[in-house]
Amino acid sequence: MSAERLSTLQHWMKTVVTGRGGLEDKLRAAARLHGLSADEVVAETRGLSSRERLGIYARGYVLRLLECMRADFPLLREFVGGEVFDAFARAYVITRPPASPSLYDLGADFPRFLEETRPRDARLEASHGAMLELPGELARVERARAEAVRARGTEDDPAASSPPSPAEIFGGGLTLQATPCLRLLELKFPLVEFVRDSDRGGRPDPPAPRRTLVAVGRADYRVQLHEVEPWQFALLQACARPASPYAAVSAAAREVGEEPGRLLASAAVWLPLAFEFGLLRRVN
Amino acid sequence: MQNPPHTPHAGRPPRLGLPHLGLGVGLRNQHFDYLMRNEPAVDWFEVISENFVDNFGYARRVLERVRSLRPVVMHGVSLSVGSTDPLDREYLKGLKALAESVRPAWVSDHLCWTGVAGVNTHDLLPMPLDEESLRHVAARVRQVQDFLGRPLVLENPSTYLEFRESTIPEWEFLSELARETGCGLLLDVNNVYVSAHNHGFDPEHYIRSLPHESVVQIHLAGPTDCGRYLVDTHDQPVPARVWELYRLAQELTGGVSALLEWDANIPDFPVLVAELRKAEAALAGHNPGPAAPAAVAAFEAVSNPVGFRLAPER
Repeated sequence: MSAERLSTLQHWMKTVVTGRGGLEDKLRAAARLHGLSADEVVAETRGLSSRERLGIYARGYVLRLLECMRADFPLLREFVGGEVFDAFARAYVITRPPASPSLYDLGADFPRFLEETRPRDARLEASHGAMLELPGELARVERARAEAVRARGTEDDPAASSPPSPAEIFGGGLTLQATPCLRLLELKFPLVEFVRDSDRGGRPDPPAPRRTLVAVGRADYRVQLHEVEPWQFALLQACARPASPYAAVSAAAREVGEEPGRLLASAAVWLPLAFEFGLLRRVN
Repeated sequence: MQNPPHTPHAGRPPRLGLPHLGLGVGLRNQHFDYLMRNEPAVDWFEVISENFVDNFGYARRVLERVRSLRPVVMHGVSLSVGSTDPLDREYLKGLKALAESVRPAWVSDHLCWTGVAGVNTHDLLPMPLDEESLRHVAARVRQVQDFLGRPLVLENPSTYLEFRESTIPEWEFLSELARETGCGLLLDVNNVYVSAHNHGFDPEHYIRSLPHESVVQIHLAGPTDCGRYLVDTHDQPVPARVWELYRLAQELTGGVSALLEWDANIPDFPVLVAELRKAEAALAGHNPGPAAPAAVAAFEAVSNPVGFRLAPER
């Protein structure tokens, strides 16, 4: 077998395992692309046909990834129902086969996939049309939480996460930066309470649409969602890079059209909380 | 083949000089709470490398506690050492960084490919086995070993098909690979059992034919009977035949580290430990396993389950 032949066999089998449709569809695609049939490639022994043997791999591929998707988006699955979730998740893994060596990256593009494949029917009432956006928004929240679980937090650095005093905030010398586990979401629905109730095993009614700003943070390894004001959201955005409290507040004030002086007083109250929630840390 | 596969490798110490760690289990998130509160009644832990690369959450904290108590081994599922795609340098960098941090007793993965053309199927796909694929895999094993600065330990996968163009039995392929590259072998006796059933070879011949001084570790697990074939499901007790193969492998190797894999329907930690401790009875000649694996419908059984993947903690 040449190196080229080894490559062809692998590309052929990849098409059979990950291709669209049933096994016969996959085999036709593999034959068209690589000029090989199942019987030419796979040995038949012990009464198991080449198709049966390939079917074990093709079936396992989808079921394995489906299991991961269910684990990554439990609230979405609960909300839309297992059958609907599985249909979308199957379509997702077949349309966008994974490239990353990490299964944690599998669901990264799922929120966008849901948004792109969302039914857009102009005949629907506005409220019904808006509700079709809820699954994608819920997926964004679940993905953000999954990322916050694994990212660096401040658990190993108590000094960086100790809340600042008013003197530090007003007196200079303090530099703020967002924690690596912070995720900021601009959502079309108020989902913080909805997610909290769902986490407790409840079946809350879907909320009516309302633009909501959410910060996802982690403290003591617990990931939590916090609905924040526009100026708080803008301040956290401004702290993507190290910033003094005044610089961060000034950037936030510009963003929301407020006076920096007024916001600085509010920030002095809120910044210690942002540290406790694991949204911000101090850096040198 | 230039050398008979069973020829002892001259001057090579048993297990590549790596330690005999005793009996271990995989670190799974279902047991985090238990392990943070209790002293584990096992000798060592195996962690899935990909679960911890770039993971700075609670799982990493649990790993730090566990490695302060017991030796740890890193076991990967995404090296894709047999693929014809280029080796993933970013993946290797992450693996090396994790190894430098965790300082595992060794680093292992599988004789397989997980994808090609940029796709990762997250399955352990079988290799066509011939001289060319042996050269291909050997070259890549050397690259990985050079990059990591340590020997790689490779596991025999469970397989459900063989390629018509294969000309070398898997046991000879692995033996030659170990001889050419100096890599170690992770002998999964359950995978030998599954593949032997599915392809009709003698599992004892497979195990007897390996270079036993290259075997660093043994895996144990329970497969599922799908009627006309077995699937490596890691979701039930180890069956009697696998315990027999385990005993044979331990006799031939002179004793190596053994690990029980359980990756779906994962039981509580004490139940897992009880299953692991059956290994002692098996070595004493009392076969502790059920006569046959449990049977399920074929469409329900998934090989290489992903329960090892850590579900997000809230």
